[in-house]
Amino acid sequence: MKLLRHPFWQAVLVLLVAWILITFGIPYLPRLAGMDSAPVPSSVVLQYMVTVLVGVLIWVSDSDERWNRFLEPIRATMVEPERRWLRLGLLVAIPLLVGFLAFRQVRQTVAAPPSLRSIHPAPPSSITFRGTPMTLAGLENPLRADGSIAEDYEEGKRVYYENCLPCHGDALDGRGHYAHGFNPAPLAFNQGGTIPQLTESFVFWRIAKGGPGLPKEGAPWNSAMPVWEDMLTAEEIWAVVVFLYDQTGFSPRTWEEAAGEGGE
Amino acid sequence: MTFVRAALATAGVLLATGFVRSPAPLPAQEAPAGKATYDRWCAGCHGADGAGGGPGAGTMLPRPRDFTTGRYQIRSTPSGALPTDADILAVILDGMPGTAMPGWRDRFSDGELRDLVAYLKTFSPFFESQPAPETLPIASAPSASEEALGEGRDFYEKIECNKCHGPTGRGNGPSAPTLEDDDDLPVRAADLTENWLFNGGGSVEEIHERLVTGLNGTPMPSFHDLIASEFMTEDQLWNVAHYVRSLAPEEPPRVSEVVRGARVEGELPASVDDEAWEVAERFYVPLVGQVVVEPRWFTPSVDGVWIQALHNGREVALRIVWHDPSRSPDPEWEEWRAKVVAIAEAGGETSDPAAAVSDTSGAAPDTTAPAAVTVAAHPPDALVVQFPRTIPDGMERPFFLMGDDREPVYLWRWENGRDGVEELLARGLARYEPLPGAEAGAVAAEVAYDDGEWRLMLRRPLDAGGVEGRLSFEAGRAIPFAVFAWDGSNGETDTRGSIGSWYFLYLDQPTASTVYVAPILATLLTAALGVVVVVRAQRRARNGAGR
Amino acid sequence: MKRSLEAMTMAVLFAALTACGGGGEEADTGGEVATDEEVGPAVSPDSAATVTGVVNFTGAAPAGEPIDMSEEPTCAEKHAEGPTRQTVVTGDGTLANVFVYVKDGLGSRTFPTSSEPVEIDQDGCEYHPRVLAIQANQPLVIKNSDGILHNINTQPTVNQGFNVSQPVSMETTKSFTSPEVMIPVKCDVHGWMEAFIGVQSHPYMAVTATDGSFRLENLPPGTYTIEAWHERYGTQTQTVTVGPQESGEVTFEYSADMAGRPVPMAEPIDLHDHGSEQPVAHAGR
Repeated sequence: MKLLRHPFWQAVLVLLVAWILITFGIPYLPRLAGMDSAPVPSSVVLQYMVTVLVGVLIWVSDSDERWNRFLEPIRATMVEPERRWLRLGLLVAIPLLVGFLAFRQVRQTVAAPPSLRSIHPAPPSSITFRGTPMTLAGLENPLRADGSIAEDYEEGKRVYYENCLPCHGDALDGRGHYAHGFNPAPLAFNQGGTIPQLTESFVFWRIAKGGPGLPKEGAPWNSAMPVWEDMLTAEEIWAVVVFLYDQTGFSPRTWEEAAGEGGE
Repeated sequence: MTFVRAALATAGVLLATGFVRSPAPLPAQEAPAGKATYDRWCAGCHGADGAGGGPGAGTMLPRPRDFTTGRYQIRSTPSGALPTDADILAVILDGMPGTAMPGWRDRFSDGELRDLVAYLKTFSPFFESQPAPETLPIASAPSASEEALGEGRDFYEKIECNKCHGPTGRGNGPSAPTLEDDDDLPVRAADLTENWLFNGGGSVEEIHERLVTGLNGTPMPSFHDLIASEFMTEDQLWNVAHYVRSLAPEEPPRVSEVVRGARVEGELPASVDDEAWEVAERFYVPLVGQVVVEPRWFTPSVDGVWIQALHNGREVALRIVWHDPSRSPDPEWEEWRAKVVAIAEAGGETSDPAAAVSDTSGAAPDTTAPAAVTVAAHPPDALVVQFPRTIPDGMERPFFLMGDDREPVYLWRWENGRDGVEELLARGLARYEPLPGAEAGAVAAEVAYDDGEWRLMLRRPLDAGGVEGRLSFEAGRAIPFAVFAWDGSNGETDTRGSIGSWYFLYLDQPTASTVYVAPILATLLTAALGVVVVVRAQRRARNGAGR
Repeated sequence: MKRSLEAMTMAVLFAALTACGGGGEEADTGGEVATDEEVGPAVSPDSAATVTGVVNFTGAAPAGEPIDMSEEPTCAEKHAEGPTRQTVVTGDGTLANVFVYVKDGLGSRTFPTSSEPVEIDQDGCEYHPRVLAIQANQPLVIKNSDGILHNINTQPTVNQGFNVSQPVSMETTKSFTSPEVMIPVKCDVHGWMEAFIGVQSHPYMAVTATDGSFRLENLPPGTYTIEAWHERYGTQTQTVTVGPQESGEVTFEYSADMAGRPVPMAEPIDLHDHGSEQPVAHAGR
């Protein structure tokens, strides 16, 4: 416990805790919310750790007394005769570690080039659907007005199972039996980060125009999403939109919400 | 610590917004427990009436289970018998690999699962009329020693697994082209080298259970009686399972986005079966049905290829290996092809898929009618490797499905029966056009087929030789490529076939000496710095002490 | 002792036969009672009637289609003149392989199950016989005389099927529990192999020989609907009335131009339904 009062060991402890939180804690958070998660990239870890280190250094150098106490063990290791072996060990180990890290940086890497894409790119304000102009902004699902949602759900289900199933899957989790063949993976609808964040007209646009209809930031060349306007009618697409929300239990984002949060 | 706080705050906001689930607006009817779950999640394929004719069924081969027949493939019970509740539950939880049936683990509560199993059973009167099915007692597995595998191999031949599954298990036995399930739909003999696609799971125990119980409704029989009739012992049947398991790799292939091509000194391998390929690293590229543009293809034959690449600074060589039970066009498979094409063309429109194959109303197929399609329409096997025309500098590349009008792709097209490989451009799937200025034979090709496996070697100089539109390969760059495959005997041609995403070919650069210089320099510098710091600290300490 | 048991069984049966018109609980379960007794007449010998008949055939029978058995030399050798698929086997103006059975008229009577096994053999990669009559729960002995892999894949609708392998010369015994006309049998290893099994709860059925003849013996007196089933030419029915110790005669007329008519397959005959024409509960596909 006495160790913990010492600024040097406090600094070491802070760095250790920070590292654990960044590498393990952060990726765990989305999983709590039922979302997919990925490890934090090492460059990001490094960046965060440097920030933590700077903060720690500012804090230990805050007062002369603390600074001197902080330096004590370091000085001692450098000069005390009884720490000769530790000193020697560090003098060998640290350069080797640096050499190894340098080697990792310069050796040939065969990682795929980064593929950064926007998953929800900004939709156009209007599109041409099968030759007919259509204004997306403010557009509501016309099927919601006619009061036969149960039938629309059944129709949407038919369309989904005949067309969408191989990639997006029975559970709407983006894990259909063909999903493994495509990169990027098909979208999972059953997660909070996807369709509840979108208006129905956005979803209509994504279905109607498919991968090739994405703007460049959406990497249209990779997407296997078909251009459904070639195969489905507008009614079928609106019905499948009804099905997606109903089946997942999510509600679409409304235009009021979209307007309210527009500044984000 | 602010960043941690910030991260936590962000996560909190995420949690607070958008995750509130609204209740399902469609109320469940007064109905048996399990019906609501079934109607919502199962009926899309299996049909509201349980007869396997939901809207998703039309394009699937094998078809979704028809629960009204009481025939279940994956069971622990004797041939022809009903499954136990545990058998049904296991399939719901784990799904059926190699088919469209997903696993539903963690999706339903235990109560929902129990109700669902009970509801499925109400579709067939057999569960009422027949005695409760009993699990066949199974002796524990002997270990998989070398001798055991040898004996398993002997019995694999003695009980003639090869008749359907082929001599080395690639699903290419002489009876494979004629196999039909109980609904007279064509069904494949499993490729035993791909145990990750086995319908009932790929472990030794699961394979053994399939041997013991058979797969009801399919041509796969039960071998259990052979033990009672003392043709073989329990251990010997286990050894068949061990042997079958040994035909597949230890682990399912891992998919890597980057296919690495090692640099070799001297000449590249001269032939497709050159020893150099034995040691070159293999990469698996999964392929799936072409479901992006019409006409789509839901019943692909080739589910993946193994790729190897080598280069020597002047030329690049690719070797592509894949399984295909037929060397198309193969007259033995003509009937199969006609059936698959008829089913695909009927799509989901007919509720009785067998009617698409044969319109005799009885179960006795009238094979006296001549096949409508002749062997002339039987396409050859084919494979395409596609690249962009130039290595992209940014992220942008042509559309993965053979480009589009704006940006064509450069590709190599091989076709069985035709000499060599064509160099082509394409502006859309199977919309090929000649590569202007390309000389025939610029891409050397050699192909071998035996025992259900194609092996294709392709070789080309790295340099484009000044031909516009032809890719210049460069070592040390990520070169996008994609693979497409067609099994002619499965009726595949043009847009009907197997497709894959963009992957990257990375040709190794010769190891530059700088790779070692920098780390050594860094090590020495750090060491020197350390020594200087320590020496100065000690000197200062001595001076301080002396003062 | 044995004799007295036998007498009792007879007495009970007789009582059931004469008394019961509407059937009862016993009638519903009776079909599944297999006795270990030797086959006894289901009716009193004093009143037993017989229906005999012949299935005639006019026109030219289609030639057998050649079968490519090159993958199975063991079987190919057994066919000196080259193997063919014979869906129509005729005699002199007569039709063989017709399954003839009492479809209706027995009311709710029940009959003891014969314990005499019925045999089907796989020889030369063909089933012998091609058409087979068997009682529910009567043992079916499946032989493999070829000594190469066959799988016996039965595809019933009302019965539970089975699909078992016989990689060597061996015998397997199976049975069916419910009446069904007809159960297709196939071997997936040899796609051309086919057989058809007709199952009834009663013993009044036969398969015609090359001379087209059949004989249904020991029938209780009554009026019966007799159905003939052929794998290519479909079904026909005739009605016949026989008194005690009488002999009735039935003739079925098939002709080559009947090809392509519907051939009922795996259609259940519901005992509980007292012979109505309605198909039973689940129409699988």
